[in-house]
Amino acid sequence: MSLSPTASFRAGWLAMLPIWLGVAPFAVAYAVTARAAHLSLFETQLMSLTVFAGASQFAAAGLFGQGVGAASIVATTFLLNVRHVLYGLSLAQQLPIHGLRRLVAAQFLTDEAYGVTVSAAPKSAGGLNLGFLLGAELSLYVVWNLFTLLGSLVGSVIPDPKAVGADVVFPLAFLGLLVPMLRGRLELLVAATSGVLAWAVSRVSPGGVTVLVAGVGGALLGAALSRTTGAPASPENEA
Amino acid sequence: MNVLLTILGMWAVTLASRFLGLSLGGLRLPPFWLAFLRFVPISVFAALVVPDVANAPDALRRTLAALLCALLIWRTRQLALGILGGFAGYWALRWLGLG
Repeated sequence: MSLSPTASFRAGWLAMLPIWLGVAPFAVAYAVTARAAHLSLFETQLMSLTVFAGASQFAAAGLFGQGVGAASIVATTFLLNVRHVLYGLSLAQQLPIHGLRRLVAAQFLTDEAYGVTVSAAPKSAGGLNLGFLLGAELSLYVVWNLFTLLGSLVGSVIPDPKAVGADVVFPLAFLGLLVPMLRGRLELLVAATSGVLAWAVSRVSPGGVTVLVAGVGGALLGAALSRTTGAPASPENEA
Repeated sequence: MNVLLTILGMWAVTLASRFLGLSLGGLRLPPFWLAFLRFVPISVFAALVVPDVANAPDALRRTLAALLCALLIWRTRQLALGILGGFAGYWALRWLGLG
C-alpha cells in the first residue's frame, strides 16, 4: 500500500491537472490587473511567489489601483484568507506534520490543494501523506507563478478569462470534489444548507468571508445533527 | 517601498492562517468537534460552488453545466471527465445562445 515519497508527490501533482485549466487564465488576469494598477513586474511576481492566494491577490491589485492604504489591504487579505485555518485543522487531524515541513506545507496550502488532497489522496495507492499534499500544492504553485509571469509580459493581448468562461472551471471542480462525499441524507442536508447560506452571505460580503461563515455554519449543523440523532460521527457511516 | 511592505504584510497574515490550522493537529478534540471537522470539506465545497454559479450573469447556463458535471461525476467518479464535460456543456449552450 505504501508508495515512495516521489511517487506520492507525482500522484498529487497529477491530481491537480484538471484544475490547471481554470488557474492558468486567472493567473494571467491577476497579472494584467496588477500591472494596470501600476505594480512593477517584480512586485506582481513577488505577490504570486509569497502570498500565493488568488482571490486576495486580485483584491489587492484592485485596491492598489484605487490607492487604498497598506493597512486596509493587509486587513482585507486576512479576512479573505483566514478560512485556511479550517483547512489546516481538517488536514492536521488526518496528517500530522512537524517542524520545517509544516511551514512548507502551510506556505503552499490553497482551497484546491486542500480539496483534492482530502478527497483524492485517501483513494490513491499511497493514501493521504505529505508527499501527495506537497505534490498537489506545488503543482498549483508552479502554474500560478508561470502564468503570472506570462500575464505580466504579454497579458494585454490575452482575452479576459471571464469572457471565455474559464471561471466556470472553479465551481465545476469543487462540485466534482463534493459529489462523491454526498453519501447520505445528512451530507446532502449539510451541503444544501451551506450552499444556501453562502449564497445569502455572498450578497453582502466578499468571497473569503462567505466561505468561512457558510463553511463553519454547515459543519456545525452536521456535527449537531450527527450527535442529536445518535448517528455515528463519521460521514462514511451515514449512508 | 510601500508596495513591498504591503505585500510582506499580506504574506504574513496569509501564512499565519495557513500555519495555525496545521499546528493544531495535536489537539485532543471532543467528538462534537471531530464530527465538525469531518463535515468541513462538504460544507466548504458547497459554499465555494453555490454563490459562484448563482451570482453569475449567466447563472442558468452555469447551473445546467454544473448539473451535467455532477451527473458525470456521480456516474463515473472521474473528476477530469466531470470538469471537461461540464465545461463543454457550458460552451455548447453558449454557442447555441441558450441559458
